[in-house]
Amino acid sequence: MSAHASAAVTEELNYLNWQKGIWSWLTSTDHKRICFLYLYAILFFFLAGGVAALLVRTELAFAGPQIITDPHTYNVLFTMHGVFMIFLFVVPGIPATLGNFLIPLMIGAKDVAFPRLNLFSWYVYMIGAAIGAVAMFNPIDTGWTFYAPYSTTTGTSVSLMVFAAFVLGFSSILTGLNFIVTIHQLRAPGMTWMRLPVFVWASYATAVIQTVATPVVGMTLLLIIAERWFGAGIFDPSKGGDPVLMEHLFWFYSHPVVYIMVLPAFGVVGEIIPVFSRKPLFGYKMVVVSSMAIAAVGFIVWAHHMFVAGISDFSAKFFSIVTFLVAIPTAIKVFNWVSTMYKGSISFKTPMLYAMAFVFLFMVAGTTGIYLAMLGVDVYYHDTYFVVAHFHYTIQGGAVIGLIAALHYWFPKMTGKMYNETVSKFAFAALFIGFNLTFIPQFMLGMNGMPRRYYDYPAEYQTLHTISTLGAYLNGFGYSFALVNLLWTALFGKVKAPRNPYNSHSLEWQTQSPPIHENFAEIPVVTEEPYNYGTPTGRGH
Amino acid sequence: MLGLLGQQGSDFAHKVDYAHDVVTILSVICTVAIVGVMLYFAVIYRQRDGQDHETPRIEGNNTLEIIWTVFPTLVCIWVAWLGYDSFVALRTPPANAMEINVTGRKWAWDFTYKNGKKTTGELVVPVDEPVKLVMTAKDVLHSFFVPVMRTKADVIPGRYTYEWFRPIQTGDFQVFCTEYCGNEHSRMLARLKVLPKAEFERWLADDSEARKLASLKPSDRGKELYVSKQCVTCHSLDGSPRVGPSWLKLFGKEGKLADGSAYKADENYIRESILQPQYKVVQGYPAMGMPSYQGQLSDDDITGIIEFIKTIDGSQKVEVAPALPKKSAASTAGMTPAERGKALVNDSGNLCATCHSIDGSAMVGPSFKGLYGRKEKLTDGSEVTVDDAYIKESIYKPMAKIVQGYGPVMPAMYEGKLSEQDVADITEYLKTLK
Repeated sequence: MSAHASAAVTEELNYLNWQKGIWSWLTSTDHKRICFLYLYAILFFFLAGGVAALLVRTELAFAGPQIITDPHTYNVLFTMHGVFMIFLFVVPGIPATLGNFLIPLMIGAKDVAFPRLNLFSWYVYMIGAAIGAVAMFNPIDTGWTFYAPYSTTTGTSVSLMVFAAFVLGFSSILTGLNFIVTIHQLRAPGMTWMRLPVFVWASYATAVIQTVATPVVGMTLLLIIAERWFGAGIFDPSKGGDPVLMEHLFWFYSHPVVYIMVLPAFGVVGEIIPVFSRKPLFGYKMVVVSSMAIAAVGFIVWAHHMFVAGISDFSAKFFSIVTFLVAIPTAIKVFNWVSTMYKGSISFKTPMLYAMAFVFLFMVAGTTGIYLAMLGVDVYYHDTYFVVAHFHYTIQGGAVIGLIAALHYWFPKMTGKMYNETVSKFAFAALFIGFNLTFIPQFMLGMNGMPRRYYDYPAEYQTLHTISTLGAYLNGFGYSFALVNLLWTALFGKVKAPRNPYNSHSLEWQTQSPPIHENFAEIPVVTEEPYNYGTPTGRGH
Repeated sequence: MLGLLGQQGSDFAHKVDYAHDVVTILSVICTVAIVGVMLYFAVIYRQRDGQDHETPRIEGNNTLEIIWTVFPTLVCIWVAWLGYDSFVALRTPPANAMEINVTGRKWAWDFTYKNGKKTTGELVVPVDEPVKLVMTAKDVLHSFFVPVMRTKADVIPGRYTYEWFRPIQTGDFQVFCTEYCGNEHSRMLARLKVLPKAEFERWLADDSEARKLASLKPSDRGKELYVSKQCVTCHSLDGSPRVGPSWLKLFGKEGKLADGSAYKADENYIRESILQPQYKVVQGYPAMGMPSYQGQLSDDDITGIIEFIKTIDGSQKVEVAPALPKKSAASTAGMTPAERGKALVNDSGNLCATCHSIDGSAMVGPSFKGLYGRKEKLTDGSEVTVDDAYIKESIYKPMAKIVQGYGPVMPAMYEGKLSEQDVADITEYLKTLK
């Protein structure tokens, strides 16, 4: 450490420049470099999944065949969109990138608990991604849900793709374990549990879900392979198996995985709003408790995806009631974020705009989720465009907006440069308007009964589909613009970022931008809460 | 109240819609309130001139926390109850419900009634009577969704699921498959026909056609279907050209498709051409000339047609009886002209509905919806207003003036079949389709 520091002559040494060359990146165990390894990989799949989505939307712009002449290609494209976005982009999304970058910095540690395991996780992810890429030679057409017996009988390379997802699951488990141990063991002196930033708490809750739920989907995916290769008969009714069992196992993971995606985004919003309001996070303890409550309750609500799937009426009723339990901690979070702004000194930098947009989008996601928790109403909405719209408000409006907000907010720390506010705000506007224009019509399609995963549709649905497609183009443009802006600034930007451009109190901003290889020249000693903004006598504006 | 889910077709639909209305109103109020408060704070507490101002260190408020934990909990209990209540109605069929067996398969719906009557793609039920659908699947998961009835249930191989409804009005409604099931998932549709009770009883008792078909050998069954399903309109048996290729010596024939690739008319090719006619169109024939029979023919029907085509090998002349006129004049007495026109359009003997929708969707021909009075561009570039004279000409001489975007595919078979009075009545009916 000190040896490197003294070697600095013209340029300040930091984690980006202390070693050079591609090999130094591919073998780096520095959590901040591993963040970037993940970031480039997941953004590649975000691009691929996004292109698939735009092709799907283009096909659906008008009734009748448009650019895709056969339904099989269409089915492949919506499956690609789902598989890439879920398994390769959103699940690793915030945890593997910003979780990696921020957790050690926020708790005052030099790195994660197991740095080599951390790098290994990235390689496992890349192996999974490579297997998935090979599967693209005979791309699957099952949808990302892999429901049997369709998935066990279709002629496409389902075995290879579910094996890819199985491998990706290992990466997720290892990352989760690493974070749990890091947060337990490596907190700086004085960093008590109740002084942890809420992003760390959210990451902790996420890591618990990753470690506990992922093995279940891994097992399920192996069972699909057993079914395909050996005719095991676990899901095949003609051999006494049960296709509904597959749905149970799948959702036992895939419902909690929604919280893997969105909890870290809650954490991000909880970091951004206090800083730009110059106020402590309102009800810090309740925010922490609600994160853990969501993680816990998330495990017992899975069958609300199956109200019409042939489960007993009794279990449908049970799963409806427990699903409402998720609404309460989620509502508490929203109230706390908004209350934080009360009597604040609010500035509207790009991350704050994203955070406020997040509150709106998540209100829509949350309230439309209530419809789907209500038994009688869900029977109507199940597998319609209403569900598609709700899901995208949650995952895109939640997890992806959270990721983009975070990339802007921590960009100065990650790259040592400042992005251009005007350009970023313009991209934000395009993305926000485009997103709503895409999915509000889809809620209306769902109200009219339009089923999802349809290659073609009756002409009465056309107007709403056309608007949705236009929105999707604007949304895609907004994302491209926002990300290209950041990438361009990272590579060629001239404006150097100060150590703490937002005057934040949390630890990651107290070290230099970008940080040195081992984060802190000296392990800090923590003496106060993370959001001690304002003064006891301050009156607000 | 709000009517967001559209027409209510079953007696429990209002329960679902009520629950939906309540949660909609609550959602809008909550979202507007929360976002409103956020924006209000954003405006009044904004930094002015980029200057930070002093802020109070407020870390929380226990009273508020309790209020906004308890209040949403109470709302959730109420809303959960509404969902529960409507669900109980959806899941509790009366003991006297009429049972109909439903089988989902790739990619059609088969319906079997207690008296043995079978239909494919068309579920016919009486109004005001509870109907219970007992459902299973042959291959993969499907899901039977009747939006207007507000009910849906997955259809699963190897077990039975059910749904029920009591229709409160007659009419013709859409049924969707809502569980992804492969290539033709989006065409796995069916129609729900709700008839007046007496009419339903007549329909149910009339199984003469089905019984006759079932007793025939496959090639004769195909021959019957050739007439009853109106294949005859576009495919001749004697080699004469019509809209589609003649069936004379069709089986085993080789040739070129519109895209230049080769085809051989074997069993699989014919089956695909019946179910997905748009994929492999023979050179020289219109691209969208034939409607799909997906969901309308059973596997036995298709096999029968293929076997029938095999018999038309030129070794002997095959003749079929012309389709019988279905409606007698008496049955339309007392109707208004528009009602009579509607009856003619829907008469399966006239076949209008095969190619013309009434809901605005483009099929083989232009939709009837909003047709009357519309200006249409013709293939020769000129423009025409759809009036009485144009409709009459289009029915009697379909090839004379063809609207841009459509093929010259309508059969010239209505002169002599439809009287001037018939055409005038049909025109009256079209005027009502705005």
